[in-house]
Amino acid sequence: MSYEAIRGALAARRTVVLDGGIGTEILRRNVTWADHQLASKPEFVRGIHEDYIRAGADVISTNSFQLCRRALYNHFRDEAHRRHIGARDLDQRADRLLAASVRLAIDGRDRAGATGRVAVAASVTTLEWCFRPDLAPNPSQAREEYREIFGVVKDAGADLVLLETVNSVGEAAVATEVARGLGLPCWVAFVPDEGGRLFSGETLAQAVAALEPLGVDAILLNCAPPDDITAGMKELAPRARVPIGTYAHIGRFNPPEWMFTDEYPPDKYREESARWKAMGAAILGGCCGTTPDHIAALASLR
Amino acid sequence: MGTMYEILATRLREGRGVLLDGPMGSELVRRGIRWRKHGLLTDAPAVQQLHEEYARAGADVLRTNTFQLNPRVYLNVFRNVQHMRHIGAPGLEDLVPHLYRSSVQLARQARAKAGKESSVAIAGVLSPLEHCFRPDLVPGEEGLRREHEALARILKEEGADFLLLESMNTIREARAALAAGRAAGLPVWVSFVLGPEGDLLGRELLGEAAKEMERGGAEAILVNCAPPEDLSLAVDRLKKATSLPVGAFAMAGRFSPPSWKFDFFPQFVETDEWPPARYVEQAKRWRERGATIVGGCCGTGPGHTAALRRLLGNGGRG
Repeated sequence: MSYEAIRGALAARRTVVLDGGIGTEILRRNVTWADHQLASKPEFVRGIHEDYIRAGADVISTNSFQLCRRALYNHFRDEAHRRHIGARDLDQRADRLLAASVRLAIDGRDRAGATGRVAVAASVTTLEWCFRPDLAPNPSQAREEYREIFGVVKDAGADLVLLETVNSVGEAAVATEVARGLGLPCWVAFVPDEGGRLFSGETLAQAVAALEPLGVDAILLNCAPPDDITAGMKELAPRARVPIGTYAHIGRFNPPEWMFTDEYPPDKYREESARWKAMGAAILGGCCGTTPDHIAALASLR
Repeated sequence: MGTMYEILATRLREGRGVLLDGPMGSELVRRGIRWRKHGLLTDAPAVQQLHEEYARAGADVLRTNTFQLNPRVYLNVFRNVQHMRHIGAPGLEDLVPHLYRSSVQLARQARAKAGKESSVAIAGVLSPLEHCFRPDLVPGEEGLRREHEALARILKEEGADFLLLESMNTIREARAALAAGRAAGLPVWVSFVLGPEGDLLGRELLGEAAKEMERGGAEAILVNCAPPEDLSLAVDRLKKATSLPVGAFAMAGRFSPPSWKFDFFPQFVETDEWPPARYVEQAKRWRERGATIVGGCCGTGPGHTAALRRLLGNGGRG
């Protein structure tokens, strides 16, 4: 299993490079995002995975941000309403696309000749909107939904789960427990605010204390501007015993799309990442707005 | 009250049919327009073109491309307003008023290009502040009043002839939006989205809702955003409850949402099941049951508008 190579690198204190943005890279290449393009343009999505591998990524993440049953069902009043006016495939769509996203990343890895060297991380986000801890479902409901999601990605062949853009300790703990229970390696990435806290108001110290006993494999920070990632690293680095990592977003969120800016060209993003590495980050990558060029720049930090 | 609306009101009083246009969102998406900011920033020519096609197909009313557009659509995908300022694109906070102005201007320009400035009215569209299919999310009274008033005022300032409250899912929000429209000095039509049971999506009785809107000063009551077969019964219920003009506009096909929340992505599939001829067969039934206003909701297009025009006849239009 490809995660063993990654586990080995982390144990030997070698830097592991994670890929960059997928959703935003789809937009940057002037393709609309709406349905993840998993059904309509699979070769195009796979091409982005291959580009990240060629840029030097050791771990690539699936194109599955917010791809879950709940995100689709939220558009209807209830089941009766969904059945009455909804598309007929909605019961199966999330699982089908999620599995497709994993298979596509594996296919991209194999085509890039990186089998055994590059691990495929199933990207899974909070069940409700990633920036809204107030919407999170209760733990027993969350457990049931994560069981379904992680079961699908495991069956499809993911090497690990990357639970990303997480906003609360509670949801992270439930998900970690489920993933480890299924035998899946589990990385958890939190969004830090300007003060280095979670969006729920909890601290990274609390997150570390909750997740390490559950067997989390790494704790990361993502989807915040570089300065906020630095603020989070000040909290995370002194407390974590598991490997830690960083992947910031660059540019601005312009819903439902992304605004690309030239504030952090690859060289400058590399400098930020070098600082996080000096603070203790073992996993370096890019979130929204980063490109294969940014990942290529990080590869030289290994 | 504007002259243009007077013409429409007279037509309604005399029981002559009034034809609403078809949808903007689902048709723009069907045409391949990338759904961002309702296409109002990046694809304004396509928006105007579609309005114009509806006008040329014979619509008496053009609706602004503002369905499910309000500041909450953007604010809801951030932690809060500070987070929006911190990581959001510049200007996001003030974007919606600008989009509303553009939406009215584009509809008006299209009307002029079609040469129908003296026969077609512009309806400024307001819809539920939260997702139109989620009555459980309707905000508190204070937010409802303030936010609908702000949007209604812009529609009025830019020259909308009247207000159409579309896909309202609760009496409470409809009442607040109706009051907001009247405070802005606009005549108001109220349209409710039907649930699978045939009443409001929020499960209140359609007849009760109609009576409440009549008391609140609405000029017409409609039902929309449900499959065509559902609307005949709804028209019966409306006719029993109110003496106001009644209308109906149905969806064609099935709603196929995006995976993310963001703004309501108006994508409909299986719309081929409702070609114009079949749709008009249903509209004929709504007419027979007493509907004066007919049109098309999500999934229909200018072809449906043209077919409905033939159903209504020229109706003494200028």
